[in-house]
Amino acid sequence: MAALDLRAELDSLLLQLLGDLEELEGKRAVLNARVEEGWLSLAKARYAMGTKSVGPLQYASHMEPQVCLQASEAQEGLQKFKVVRSGVHAPEDVGPREGALRRRKGPTKTPVPQSSDAPRDPLNWFGILVPHSLRQAQASFRDGLQLAADIASLQNRIDWGRSQLQGLQEKLKQLEPGAA
Amino acid sequence: MEAVLLFMRMSRNAARRTARARRGVGPTGSRTAEAGLRRLLVLSGELCPAAGMAGRGKLIAVIGDEDTVTGFLLGGIGELNKNRHPNFLVVEKDTTINEIEDTFRQFLNRDDIGIILINQYIAEMVRHALDAHQQSIPAVLEIPSKEHPYDAAKDSILRRARGMFTAEDLR
Repeated sequence: MAALDLRAELDSLLLQLLGDLEELEGKRAVLNARVEEGWLSLAKARYAMGTKSVGPLQYASHMEPQVCLQASEAQEGLQKFKVVRSGVHAPEDVGPREGALRRRKGPTKTPVPQSSDAPRDPLNWFGILVPHSLRQAQASFRDGLQLAADIASLQNRIDWGRSQLQGLQEKLKQLEPGAA
Repeated sequence: MEAVLLFMRMSRNAARRTARARRGVGPTGSRTAEAGLRRLLVLSGELCPAAGMAGRGKLIAVIGDEDTVTGFLLGGIGELNKNRHPNFLVVEKDTTINEIEDTFRQFLNRDDIGIILINQYIAEMVRHALDAHQQSIPAVLEIPSKEHPYDAAKDSILRRARGMFTAEDLR
């Protein structure tokens, strides 16, 4: 009976693994397509701005990540990743700060905007007015990052499933040495 | 859970105060609405730690050619300041295999990196280091490059998965 239960568990684990592998293949194809779109857009931006205008020479000397990963452990040894975008701006206060009646005593002192803690958009490294193709490239690679996190989670699940499968196969061999 | 309930209660109260302020009810309506909104923003920062300075998540590192690294840095993964090492490496024609391997091992040893993206043709150069890495974090993801399309047969993860099944196991 224990062997039967083990076999049933092995079968369900195997089916889950095959499903994960199929999902992984699908996501990989989408990631590769996004990255290729990104390269094409970068090439168009380079054509518009100049060969040396889009490359490592434009990287900022100080960078802060806008995208972070949150890793959570679903089961023992099974890590799951989630992409989190940082740099949420506080909403601007629109409208007059004082009451309805303004006292005209010379130029009013406008409040100095506080330096934002949000990281700077990497698009600004390449200039103020960047071509649309560079924005498209950024969008493609951002989509790619989300997919990368999903693929990494799937890879971890496949590795975890593989180790579980090997453990169950060992147990089955001990229970049924003749069948091995 | 309690923080979420508090957040919902505060947002409801802030919405009520804002509506009262718009109607001009009470002399302190607009001030209390503003104070409520400020408290709400502080609490939302605590609930979403990645949006604030404290409790930042893990990073994504990238080892690749110029276009791949530029693209992913545009996506916002880059980190570079005076004290920390960069989380990216641009591999050029004169980059040696030792440099690539050293950088890869540094990324593996850092505890703030969750995923390492690496072009597959570069991964081939340091395949022995990739195959030796068995931990779940950081996860290593092989991606194609412009000159070298992705080949599933060379991927470390898929090769291990292919080795799972033998003829005996499937009997």
